[in-house]
Amino acid sequence: MIASRRGTGLVELLVATVLATVVLGMLTAAVGGGARLLATAGRRGEAEDTAQLAVEALLFDVRRAGYDPRGVGVEALAAADASRLVLRADLDGDGTVDAASEETITWVCNLAVRRLSRLVGRQSLPLADDVTTCALGYLDATGTPLSIPPGGLAAADRARVRSVTLALGLSPRGLARSATRLARVALRRAR
Amino acid sequence: MRRRARGSALPSALIAVALTAALAAALADVARTELVLARQRRMAAAALAAADSCLATVAADLPVGWDFGDVLRGPDDVPGTADDGVLAAPPGCAAAARPPAGAASPPARLELTIDAQAASGRRRLTALVGRAREPGAPALLWLADTAALAPADGTLALDGRDPRDPAAPAWAAAAAPGDPAVLDAWLAGRAAVAPGTGAPITAQPPPLAALVARAAAAAGAGALGGAGPPAPAIVLVAGDLAVASPSAGAGVLVVDGTLDVAAPLTFAGLVVATRGLRVAAGASLTVAGTVWLGAPAGASALLADGNVAVARDPAALAAADALLALPRPAALLGLQDLG
Repeated sequence: MIASRRGTGLVELLVATVLATVVLGMLTAAVGGGARLLATAGRRGEAEDTAQLAVEALLFDVRRAGYDPRGVGVEALAAADASRLVLRADLDGDGTVDAASEETITWVCNLAVRRLSRLVGRQSLPLADDVTTCALGYLDATGTPLSIPPGGLAAADRARVRSVTLALGLSPRGLARSATRLARVALRRAR
Repeated sequence: MRRRARGSALPSALIAVALTAALAAALADVARTELVLARQRRMAAAALAAADSCLATVAADLPVGWDFGDVLRGPDDVPGTADDGVLAAPPGCAAAARPPAGAASPPARLELTIDAQAASGRRRLTALVGRAREPGAPALLWLADTAALAPADGTLALDGRDPRDPAAPAWAAAAAPGDPAVLDAWLAGRAAVAPGTGAPITAQPPPLAALVARAAAAAGAGALGGAGPPAPAIVLVAGDLAVASPSAGAGVLVVDGTLDVAAPLTFAGLVVATRGLRVAAGASLTVAGTVWLGAPAGASALLADGNVAVARDPAALAAADALLALPRPAALLGLQDLG
């Protein structure tokens, strides 16, 4: 009579260990890849949403710039250069533009800290971080870009502006490609 | 007796399936969120485009004039009634007008409220409308009616380029209510249109009756001269005017009837004829400025058996505008989105 074999032999143990390692490795790789895909998809969606929201906010602000129901001569663009734009509007129709309210909106591209900000009155609202491209441009009635001198456009040139452009690129960490937008928004005034 | 199988394959597979399912669910959630956002953005963009389109249509349909008193009085032209400020609007939107705060009476500006709906989205905006900087339609011939335009045996030379600024947008050869293809067909083969001159455009009819009334109120005492450079003046003729000898003038010539040209006539500024223009064979009409024509019922606004030449001259038109304030089309001055 042969005694039943009990326990695990060394070879069996080694084979089981190798197989378990392989299976666990595959499982970890699959789950890890899926997790990375999920994280990337989330970051991509967030970056695209942020860029789109910035464009929509610019659209909103530029469209109403120069709103002047009293006809007192509200200047739509109070300052304009490649990294800063100040938009003004008399939204409440009182004949004045309040610098501390949403009647004065300032857009600031600060590439040093990779941030695009929108200042409502004196309150700063960061619109986007991880900004790698941010440039404002200005076109006249014929669609010709206006040359921006140091210090920004002069008042006469600002009065010639008929549309504003924004080139925006966001590159959050972990994304291979930037979320980019190139927007052109026309001021809603015929003269 | 079989040894009981022990191992970790089943738990491992179950864990893997659970993890994969969780990841897939999370990915699906991300995708679903993005889809919802994209759908909402599409709806908002469609509604915004509908509101902009509605505003453009409503503004273009506002009558050419000096102020907006008639618009505010509504279709019944009576102030203080229910239709005050009600404007016709395209399907899918509604438009209403009111004077801006602090506006004079009659107001030179309007505040339009536009409500538009498209693709399940709604947008509302308020727009300010005033009068354009340049008077009249940007065209050399501005006709009140094209229904009975007749072919001409003479020549028609049209030059819509700005002589002071060749880079400026050129004027159209002609403007009238309705389909500009009618004007295209009328001009085809008959008019010598200078290169760069714009194609015919659609425009509101010129407010000729109101212009005649304003010319009369301005007490125009001028007359066409026979020779020499004429001084700009308002020349108002009640009834038809027949030009039988060579004549010249400048400023504003308003004929509240038919302008019948049987001899060379040169004019710098604005020529208005409420019942049309006839240029006889052998005669000529040369205008540096623009020509606004009405038409008798069932007849052509312009019968040119002679030679007609109209060239854009902003200086002459500005001089005419300084003599007699000319009507202007509505122009968008600003807007704000209300959500």
